[in-house]
Amino acid sequence: MEHRRFELAMSPHVGTKQSTRKIMFDVVIALLPALAAATWFFGPGALLIVALSVGAAVLAEYLCLKFMKKPVSFAFDGSAIVTGILLAYNVPPGVPWWLPILGSAFAIIVGKQAFGGLGHNIVNPALLGRAFLMASFPILMTAGWIAPEEWRNGQDNPWETNGIVQEELLKMPNADAISGATPLNVLKQSFDLDKSADLAGEEGHHAEAADLEARASGIRHALSQRSTYLNLLVGRRGGCIGETSVLLLLVGALFLIIRGVLEIRLPLSYLGTVALFAWVFGGSEWFNGDPLFHVLAGGVILGGFFMVSDMVTTPVTPGGRIIFGIGAGLLTMVIRRWGGYPEGCSYSILLMNLMTPLIDRFTRPKIFGEVKEND
Amino acid sequence: MSRARTFRGGTHPPGNKGLSSGKSIRKIPAPDIVRIPLCQHLGAPSKPIVDKGDTVIRGQEIGAQNGFISLPTHSPVNGTVIGLEDYPMPHRRKGPVVVIETESEEGGQVFEKWDDFHDHSPSEIIERVKQAGISGMGGACFPTYVKLSPPPDKKIDTLLINGVECEPYLTADDRLMLERPDDIILGMEILAYTLGVQRCVIGIEVNKPNAIDVMEKKGVTVLPLKVKYPQGAEKQLIDAATGREVPAGGLPLDIGVVVQNVATAAAVAGAVRDGEPSIRRIITVTGTGISSPCNYDACVGTLFTDLIEESGGYTGDVERLISGGPMMGIALYTDGVPVTKGTSGVLALSHQEVRDIAEGPCIRCGKCVDICPLKLVPSMIATAAENGRWEMAKEYGALNCMACGTCSYVCPAGRYLVHYIKNAQDAIRSGQGEGA
Repeated sequence: MEHRRFELAMSPHVGTKQSTRKIMFDVVIALLPALAAATWFFGPGALLIVALSVGAAVLAEYLCLKFMKKPVSFAFDGSAIVTGILLAYNVPPGVPWWLPILGSAFAIIVGKQAFGGLGHNIVNPALLGRAFLMASFPILMTAGWIAPEEWRNGQDNPWETNGIVQEELLKMPNADAISGATPLNVLKQSFDLDKSADLAGEEGHHAEAADLEARASGIRHALSQRSTYLNLLVGRRGGCIGETSVLLLLVGALFLIIRGVLEIRLPLSYLGTVALFAWVFGGSEWFNGDPLFHVLAGGVILGGFFMVSDMVTTPVTPGGRIIFGIGAGLLTMVIRRWGGYPEGCSYSILLMNLMTPLIDRFTRPKIFGEVKEND
Repeated sequence: MSRARTFRGGTHPPGNKGLSSGKSIRKIPAPDIVRIPLCQHLGAPSKPIVDKGDTVIRGQEIGAQNGFISLPTHSPVNGTVIGLEDYPMPHRRKGPVVVIETESEEGGQVFEKWDDFHDHSPSEIIERVKQAGISGMGGACFPTYVKLSPPPDKKIDTLLINGVECEPYLTADDRLMLERPDDIILGMEILAYTLGVQRCVIGIEVNKPNAIDVMEKKGVTVLPLKVKYPQGAEKQLIDAATGREVPAGGLPLDIGVVVQNVATAAAVAGAVRDGEPSIRRIITVTGTGISSPCNYDACVGTLFTDLIEESGGYTGDVERLISGGPMMGIALYTDGVPVTKGTSGVLALSHQEVRDIAEGPCIRCGKCVDICPLKLVPSMIATAAENGRWEMAKEYGALNCMACGTCSYVCPAGRYLVHYIKNAQDAIRSGQGEGA
């Protein structure tokens, strides 16, 4: 028998069926249910924004790769689609059509390709894109809220005609910027009124203080009427395109868990920290905050399951992931409670992304059989 | 089976053992020409002590032990030496072989048969195991006699016999346990006597219920183990069996354990009872690239080509030929390589069986960190190694890696993690990391 020749390769010679591409498309699939909810509540405009954002992300990726003479197949591995969707999910539904295009292109070009492309970016590209839009177009990014179902129900929208909140908000100095405010926006305004009331009280204007306090609690009461847990769960509230439908985001997260793509330590430690912090510091007094409201009302479900758990920009060690989640949770809540923005989700994740290399370094697992030098 | 034990980490590659697990061991005669490698063990190759034209008998020493970590080599046949040459090896590029023209395989008794090993002292037995050229037959090929001679300050209390066979496809150990349990058990007894240990356990994965059954019926203490790769790795087996961790950079004997493969135990029995040197072994020839997969009892020096021909040749589609299993086995560029004492399998994988994925960048999914049985950070070591940062590779545990391949197996980006880590090991060991 003749000796036959074969090609050489390094062991192991077999592998899982899993691939980067499959992971990315699993994430895309997991994000789609929330898009259905966004379209239902905010209208076809939301769908268009997502489509434009995704298109811009993929095109930007393709052109970058072409320009840098890298294999353009990377543009179709699904990661640019994920970035495009996430960027769109993080802008208000009423923004002009060119805004998501600009944001997506920035996310891909500066946030991802400038660092070397897939796997090399330091911060989450979509969140960097959002931060860029917030810094460059603050009015557009905070005024584009749409009340849920307004596009179908028009002026008869029962959610909108519950006017107490609107009235209160119109008394605020920057009222024109928050016409369709999100629940967290409203909450922030009530806290601001509390602060003014305290100030007035200290200065001896007791009547004014009492009035402000009454207004603050009036807002909170109206908020609890309007943003019931059920409304928050299904997504019948103002907010960014993809963050509102908690229920469908959870469906997507469950899909990722079943597919073995979602690392559960990150979202659990993140959301757990948010809930605990909300309970302790989130109310008007200690230990009377509403953890459920804080988890449901903002972007932490979207952030926790789809951005805190982003593989590239978070630690790879088991311990590091828990530290990351806790850190991001704390920063989110500090911003919400005492910071200048009503929502701190995206900035908290960006800040923690920068900590990732350091966290990885200090949480290296103990090697099997490793003993201390002096043992 | 709830009583099955295991270690932390690891993964579950498809077993594919059904191709050959039902095939009885077939003893095949030595081919007309055998090529006996002089380096079938870890350590220094043995020194040839025969010349072209010499007549040799079966069992005769043809290569002398050459140092402490080394072993003698024996002829598996009666015949004439027709050459000493360099020949392709299953474990490295080329190595020295003694080429012998076979006349017969009869007789040729070199060592005395010992009817009752109790009549002989442990040191006599260790000497016999050394003279018989027995090395670990599970894969590492470490000289067995060295493992049986622990320093006097190390108290050994447990002998673990490794019948795990966690490599997919391979069934050689499984068949050996089913068909020759008495050899394994005698070998166990000899090893336990030599080491002076009372506790003697055989670890078997629960996907081999018949082997577990056979061993339990013979009164052997079986430790059923969960089916998980790499359950058969020495440190992982010890962890599952005793809960003890072999210190990083240390040896099992540091924690009072000696591990021997089932085939090694059987070889020890053969050497002591029958006076047989280590010249034959059980080999699984399998994979969908093989027409009719089977388990063979063949002598060392038989070419893979002969074994494959014996198995009906290749099917049409063979993408890769491997010596050993698919996880740690070595890809071969030719099937013209001789069987050694350490050859557990010949695997011909078809295109569908081989992982076909273009290597992409690390997406930091952390899967490799979760499954590494040694708790290393493979992705970081690999990235450091790619950039020549050997110190960092060392910090993340590069030197502890046993190259089990679990990380590469699970990597969605298809990264050649084992390759990068081995590069780092070579660089660190050759001192490139210093002063960097």
